[in-house]
Amino acid sequence: MSIFLQLLINGVIAGAIYALVSSGFSLIYSTNKFVHFAHGGVIALSAYFFFWTLSNSSLTPVVVIALTMLFSALLGYLLNKVFYKPLRAKKSSSLILFVTSMAILILSEALVLLIFGANAKTINLIKNNHGMEIAGAIITPLQLAIIGTAVLLFLGLYLFMKKTKIGKAMRAVADNKEVAEIVGISSEKIYSWSFAIGSAIAGIAAILISLEQNIEPTMGTSLMVKGFISAIIGGVGSVPGAILGSFSLGLTENFGTWFLPSGYKDAIAFLLLFVFLLFRPQGILGIKNKQR
Amino acid sequence: MIDAYLTHLAILIGIYSILAISLQLSLGYGGLLNLGHFSFFGIGAYASALLSVEGVPFVICLLFAGMVAAFFGWLLSIATNKLKGDYSALVTLGFSFVVYAVLLNWVALTNGSLGIAGIPRPNFLGIDFSNNLYFLLLVVFIALLSYLFIRKICSSSFGRALESTRDDELAAKLLGKNTTKLKRASLLIAAFFAGISGSLFAAYITFIDPSSFTFTNLIPILSIVIVGGLASLPGTIVATVVVVLLPEPFRFIGFPTSILGPIRQIMYATILLLIIYLKPRGFYGKIDLE
Repeated sequence: MSIFLQLLINGVIAGAIYALVSSGFSLIYSTNKFVHFAHGGVIALSAYFFFWTLSNSSLTPVVVIALTMLFSALLGYLLNKVFYKPLRAKKSSSLILFVTSMAILILSEALVLLIFGANAKTINLIKNNHGMEIAGAIITPLQLAIIGTAVLLFLGLYLFMKKTKIGKAMRAVADNKEVAEIVGISSEKIYSWSFAIGSAIAGIAAILISLEQNIEPTMGTSLMVKGFISAIIGGVGSVPGAILGSFSLGLTENFGTWFLPSGYKDAIAFLLLFVFLLFRPQGILGIKNKQR
Repeated sequence: MIDAYLTHLAILIGIYSILAISLQLSLGYGGLLNLGHFSFFGIGAYASALLSVEGVPFVICLLFAGMVAAFFGWLLSIATNKLKGDYSALVTLGFSFVVYAVLLNWVALTNGSLGIAGIPRPNFLGIDFSNNLYFLLLVVFIALLSYLFIRKICSSSFGRALESTRDDELAAKLLGKNTTKLKRASLLIAAFFAGISGSLFAAYITFIDPSSFTFTNLIPILSIVIVGGLASLPGTIVATVVVVLLPEPFRFIGFPTSILGPIRQIMYATILLLIIYLKPRGFYGKIDLE
């Protein structure tokens, strides 16, 4: 029983981390309609920004957290303006944008490697992080905080998309770009907004993940891969779908280790991806009949 | 000393050109952005290495590597044929991660992260290919055969039907072409040659481990194909020479290897970005990257 509970808790924690990655990615995908793989690069760069600012300045952690979110939002905004906008102006296909985002991801990974070196870095911000026992399973306060922040963030995002003017405009562009433009919504402006907001979420993800795990140059790629698989499973372009997919993935991976060595976690994730792509490419919450 | 270094570079160019023209067949002619192409290289390297450490003659290892890779190409085509555009690209990306996870974790077969050491150099027809000059001749010979073979099939009716499928699948279907079969065959042949080049790579380096076959390694090969231009075989060869030689001067400036690695990655990524922005057809390409 306690093994079951521990796997359940581990699965939920992993799911929360994946959801932090996939929700931002999905938000950008929903309006922009291309795979922004460099989202992982934004996470890695933000995590290193967080690490560097914490250890090289006397600012209080709260200020550093705010700065990191600002940094990531700005980074996402600039990536869109500098790299993607000129390609969109040339009417490049989504495949070219995808290859571009891959090149940006590799570029950011290599830059981090060049500046900070290959070894993993640890952030010791939270001193007292002993695990608590709940019915035989262990969970740390930080892990509880990750799950709590994720839930609050998703609630906030939901309200933002439903209630605010920009959120509504984003949904309109995601639904039908042409019609949205006819009623006077500038799609370029909405692209910028979704990059800034999606990347700010990436900044939050970077902060929480770097407190929970070590940070290393390749973290962007590995997190992006998981976040991306979650998004596909849940239904790409749907933020609630991405969150649902993330928890499904986290739970499947962790319960999979009941039967398989933990080294196969990644393989389990990809098997799940294959099953979905072959039998339900639109994902759990996706709508059929869209071109895939 | 200089001779040995140049021979080494020439061998790498030979091996990579086989890999690049096979990607050209699947990306340039078949129109499939195959991000898992490097996995076929890895599968070939492992298949060949595992046999050759058991003392199996090289020619058999080479063909076995190609056939195992082709089998996985066939498997992958089942998934890619059902999907479109960026979705099929993403499946191939997923494929590359699965292959990497298996190479790393199936310790009983692949020896995990420790890799396979002591892969023997080929030795047949009374020639000992542990001499790099002879090995270069072998690589050039196989590269030439692969080039001629792929050129032959690209200019055949099969190649033309494949190109028409890439440009307009519906039209090709209307003309009675079995596009599913065409795409499957192109991926299978491409995987076969990637496997062959992987086998040569393993026999040349004599040591392989999973880290040599991650998806980031695909970036230089993808750059080669896009720089050379889609659906242009001579362009691919020229681009292979350029892209393999380009980071070499950094070696002489005296950067340590820990810096050389990221610099190389930055360079390849930059080349890829520059070509996308400035010359999306590459240098000899016949069609746009789509």
